[in-house]
Amino acid sequence: MSLGYHPLVKQLLDGELSLADLPLELRAEGAEALRLIGAVDRTSVVLSPALDDRVMAVVRRHAGSPARRAWHWLAAPRDVELRLRLRPVVWAGALAIAAGVALLLLARTPVATPVPASVARGGARDSVFVRFVLYAPGARHVAVAGTFNQWDLNAAPLARAGSSGVWSTTLALPVGQHQYAFVVDGERWVADPAAPAIDDGFGRRNSMVAVTARGAHTL
Amino acid sequence: MLAFALSTAWRLGAQDAGARLDGRVPPEVRRAVQDIAADAAARGLPTEPLVQKAIEGGAKRVPAERLIAAVRALAARLAEATDAARAGGLATPQADVVEGGADGLSAGLATGQVSELVRASHTPYDAALVLRVAATLAALGVPPKQTVQLVEGLMKDGRSATDLLGLPGEVQAQVAGGETPTQAAEGAAHGGGNGPPGRAPDFVPPGQTKPHHPNHRP
Amino acid sequence: MGLAGEATDGEVVRAVLGGEVERYAVLVHRYRDRYARYAARMLGSRDAGEDAVQDALVRAFDRLADCREPAKFAGWLFLILRNRCFAERRRRQREGRPLDERDDGVAGADRPDGTLEQTERMRALERSLAHLTPEQRDVFVLKHVEGLAYEEIAARTGATVASLKMRMHRAYDRLRDLMKEHL
Repeated sequence: MSLGYHPLVKQLLDGELSLADLPLELRAEGAEALRLIGAVDRTSVVLSPALDDRVMAVVRRHAGSPARRAWHWLAAPRDVELRLRLRPVVWAGALAIAAGVALLLLARTPVATPVPASVARGGARDSVFVRFVLYAPGARHVAVAGTFNQWDLNAAPLARAGSSGVWSTTLALPVGQHQYAFVVDGERWVADPAAPAIDDGFGRRNSMVAVTARGAHTL
Repeated sequence: MLAFALSTAWRLGAQDAGARLDGRVPPEVRRAVQDIAADAAARGLPTEPLVQKAIEGGAKRVPAERLIAAVRALAARLAEATDAARAGGLATPQADVVEGGADGLSAGLATGQVSELVRASHTPYDAALVLRVAATLAALGVPPKQTVQLVEGLMKDGRSATDLLGLPGEVQAQVAGGETPTQAAEGAAHGGGNGPPGRAPDFVPPGQTKPHHPNHRP
Repeated sequence: MGLAGEATDGEVVRAVLGGEVERYAVLVHRYRDRYARYAARMLGSRDAGEDAVQDALVRAFDRLADCREPAKFAGWLFLILRNRCFAERRRRQREGRPLDERDDGVAGADRPDGTLEQTERMRALERSLAHLTPEQRDVFVLKHVEGLAYEEIAARTGATVASLKMRMHRAYDRLRDLMKEHL
């Protein structure tokens, strides 16, 4: 990560200073910064003429229903299909793109691909698919252990994705709050770098994941 | 009669803990944890987290002394969380509230802050949910005071329980983008959220505003 | 607003709330393009922006009773759209899908006065913008695409000027780094 722009250059970008206001030694940086921001596309965007009709068609439907149904942002037909596949709502590192690498992996593979053994153990009804990803290029074996599998090192191994050094698995987790950590080569416990971390009481950190079914908030 | 029923429950609970720990931890640890669990049950504390912690320690091959100390420390935190929940107005706090409170304490919240959060929780904000969210925010690095402000602010604004649940994800995403937890929490207090906006700010349409461009335009 | 003969936003909102559903079309027509650029820039493509505007207009109808000041429908609609864009960004992050980076979001090739170098830089900047957080992108688009002052952005969104500047300044730094990769 580079040093970033000088604060005066940032004021220049904000429009609070002009290039002439900058000290001589900052002018080059200032000009570079202006070129960067100046490259932004400001052309206006025109939407399809059919939009009015589409909106009004839905509005008429909604107006006609006796009880206004609860609005879900993503209640388009494609998302109904995803809901049937138990779309998870997860707010912990499991699906975070903080690692950057996780994004790479998830873009290539379908998100909710269950590992058969774990799903069978999971129990389908109150479970939600959660994806665990770890970047560990030097590892020979990676597993995830946590409150959902009694911290069993052998219950949930991760699979390596090609030679990228990325390991992953998808588990069906029961709704609720869970703590977990990755186990590398059977003995090194590693918290998920992108998840909220909590002291495990033993000198290390566990990661936290809370799983809810969409619409339900039992934790 | 009640005392007899209770003591039976304690013994059964302790036996159950023992059975689950058998083979996962050395016998001395099993015995010690059984005692701690029985004592906790007698005081009305949830025992499941204690058993879980012992199983975790066994899996992590933590030395016996350290493991027992950690379980004992957790029991103390559960007791502290129970007191805090009671001080916040819950006569008999449920297990999930106590566990959430204990997580919050682990993550750095003070007992008084746990009480405050419990006190502030009202329909549709479940106390257990509120504590879970606060504990996770604190675990993400948001300072305790700011965590409490953020959660309480959201409830005061009448945002949905879904928005509350979404707070840690929002903060985490911004931290991933390079903001500090403090900045991310401040952003979450003002921006984002899935719920409908309640207040319309003073609106100035973009086309009617004098553009404020930097001086580079030719 | 309020040209002779045209109903004001407040009047139309009240009419719709009174049961004249069809009059909502006036507001749809009035605002369909107003925030199109903002939505398209937030989500990376015209199509995604159009989806967002469409959803926001429908949702504004659904929640019209919550619009506390009918005269300020436009600002209220903007917040609904903004929330919708944030939600969409977060959803795509969870799914691991990057923003749509299709060329219809970047008009570089059509600009008669643009040099090849400027087009390249514009494309690189669009790609870099995709890697900002939704909140950073939001303040960047409002300030540098829509041309609003910090005070105006603060008034619309409820954020403080200080926190907006902090966010923007961090975005400047990130863009500088990202542009090095993408150029």
